[in-house]
Amino acid sequence: MASTGKSVKAPKSKTLRCRTLHEYLKSLSPSVLDRLYNHPSTCLAVYRELSEIAKHYVIRLLFVEQPVPQAVIASWLSKTHAKEHKEATDTLTELRVWNEASVPGGLSAWILNPIFKRNAKVALLGGGKPWSMSAKLEQDQKARDLDFLNQYALERWECILRFMVGSQQTEGISADAVRTLLYAELMKCNEGSESPVITKDGFQFLLLETPAQVWYFILKYLETVETKGLDLVECLTFLFQLKFSTLGTDYSTEGMSEKLQIFLQHLREFGLVYQRKRKAGRFYPTKLALNMATRGTLKQIREPGFLIVETNFRVYAYTDSNLKVALIGLFTELMYRFPNLTVGVLTRDSVRAALRSGITAAQIIGFLRLHALPTLATPLPPVVADQIQLWEGERERLTTTEGVLYSQFVSQADFEKLRDYAQDLGVLTWQNDKKRTVVVTKQGHSDIKKFWVHHQKGSQHS
Amino acid sequence: MNEDTDSESSLLVVIFDTSLTQDVIINEEIKLSECLEIIITFVNSHLMLKSNNKIAMITCDSKNCQFIYPDSTNEPGQLRQTDGQYELFTHVEKTIRKNVQQFLVKTLEGEIGHHDSLFGAACSIALCYINRLENEKSLGDKMNSRILIITGCGNSGDQYIPCMNTFFTAQKQNVTIDVCSLQNEITLLQQACDITNGVFLKLPQLSSLLQYLLWVFLPDPTVRKKLVVPPPVSVDYRPFCFCHHELIDIGFVCSVCLAIYCKLSPICTTCEVVFKLKAPMKPIKVKKKKMIKS
Repeated sequence: MASTGKSVKAPKSKTLRCRTLHEYLKSLSPSVLDRLYNHPSTCLAVYRELSEIAKHYVIRLLFVEQPVPQAVIASWLSKTHAKEHKEATDTLTELRVWNEASVPGGLSAWILNPIFKRNAKVALLGGGKPWSMSAKLEQDQKARDLDFLNQYALERWECILRFMVGSQQTEGISADAVRTLLYAELMKCNEGSESPVITKDGFQFLLLETPAQVWYFILKYLETVETKGLDLVECLTFLFQLKFSTLGTDYSTEGMSEKLQIFLQHLREFGLVYQRKRKAGRFYPTKLALNMATRGTLKQIREPGFLIVETNFRVYAYTDSNLKVALIGLFTELMYRFPNLTVGVLTRDSVRAALRSGITAAQIIGFLRLHALPTLATPLPPVVADQIQLWEGERERLTTTEGVLYSQFVSQADFEKLRDYAQDLGVLTWQNDKKRTVVVTKQGHSDIKKFWVHHQKGSQHS
Repeated sequence: MNEDTDSESSLLVVIFDTSLTQDVIINEEIKLSECLEIIITFVNSHLMLKSNNKIAMITCDSKNCQFIYPDSTNEPGQLRQTDGQYELFTHVEKTIRKNVQQFLVKTLEGEIGHHDSLFGAACSIALCYINRLENEKSLGDKMNSRILIITGCGNSGDQYIPCMNTFFTAQKQNVTIDVCSLQNEITLLQQACDITNGVFLKLPQLSSLLQYLLWVFLPDPTVRKKLVVPPPVSVDYRPFCFCHHELIDIGFVCSVCLAIYCKLSPICTTCEVVFKLKAPMKPIKVKKKKMIKS
């Protein structure tokens, strides 16, 4: 008898997940957090993303100087919403918005983080130093309007996406953007070929909403920022300031540190800010910056949809953008191409090809829904959504588990003995009478082996 | 990601009574400027809650109402930051200060009347504004609107009819009316809150105005359900008579237009109908307003 160890790792399809602002901040060290809270814009950004209940907790405590007993805070919410209370308090503690304290009498209490409190008050009431980018400026001679800025931001961002899809137009993408893409494993350099190619994660990235893409990209960029000699806190603070700036207004670069200037140039390359010249002394934030790290998008900033999906699985895309056509081409079979219209059809093969490249059915469905024409009654026919789900389900008919194979038993009795023992232990995965084969799980292998050795000895003695 | 809450915005219209004949102002218990300061902080806190929250502010006194914010002549973005305050908040603060000042100057130039403040008119402006935004908003967006009246005026019935009309309009439009009274139990406004499911609060302590505003009036009606808030006050549903503007328990009701009088008269002064009086009239108990509500 021989036992062969065969282990197959199940290739679980990994979905690309974009961390929220809070999840990101929780992963930072306490000291970094405290330094971040030193600026009003960070406090505002964190506050906005809190849950409704937590927001009210904070505002109620904002003007209270002493610690407030936890029991008192719990009594603010009616008893039926205890779960929300738990979530709110946990988030506030993890983000260090408030700290534990004790009041006379031994009750545990909470007190707002003094740094957070001070700066939240500054944001709300005024006082303190102006934000670093709001120095006085002369009227811009060549002021840019909103349309121009939106157009600019879109072009810059599509440039990066086009590069990922591998279109020919590679000019205009900066080395930093490419480095970030490589670092984020959205693209990788294959041996032998010079230009990087898109990875499974990259495909999933392409189907995200633009703000989610920007945030994912920026997070990855921030992870590398310290290796470039920039200060993480300084950069984050600046990002949050951008987030709370006004679209269409110019801001001054005066008084910015050397490092921040470098960071600004990077943001300019990604399309988050617009600058006419490197030394212009002023810049305009774009909607990419304003939309960053918020839950969902503001309606007025969202791009209008352009897709019609019919129940016969045809996809009509009213667009002239090569990028959008390339995106649709990821999971459809393109049929016709007109100057402003592209028609594709969702087939089993085309969707399976997309699934193979790492895209999930949920992402395809999400993409079709998101970009559907807003005037449609049903953005995506249910039959199409269901079918895409089914096609994905088809690929998951096989599941793999690790196991150890026992075969070539000498007698049927031996085989049965081992099989029954494995069954009793609950480690039997599969067995076949005729072939006298047993497969047990990996955990059960050592037990079965011991049993078998013992059994062999016993049978030899008799 | 929570998609439902993203398309939801909340509009808060603050009606601030600047009439100089309010008792709290005359007795110098609180200064108008302090009050304004607190209200600005309060509206900014509302804006801080969510990026798509909106505010509007209207001032009123016994003669005029004026729209204070938003001001179409003064768009955000023209101001530069002078300190660490968020740009939008600075803009709100400056605009409100400037316009309230103009309004007060205008009031002081004219004669100071001793009438009630024009809540009915101010509420109408607020409701019109809310209606406009409702029509302008894009499909699928949801807007919760409410009105907050902050006043220190007394309890009189000069404005009974126009007020009641606007309150019922608000109820139909699903607009909640909250009232923060600085001094008195104002029966008229208590009724407004009761009709529209709002909160009426008479401040127990003037010095903690901001805390009361933040605690009671900052949460949206949807959030209020989850929070523990002060129990509703018992509402005095006695109406004011149309002839002398006095609270009455028992009075006479015109059979044609339902106008209420404290004394019997042969001609209804509201609809000018002539009553045929044969037998001496007995006073009729006035129908409670609760009947109308149902």
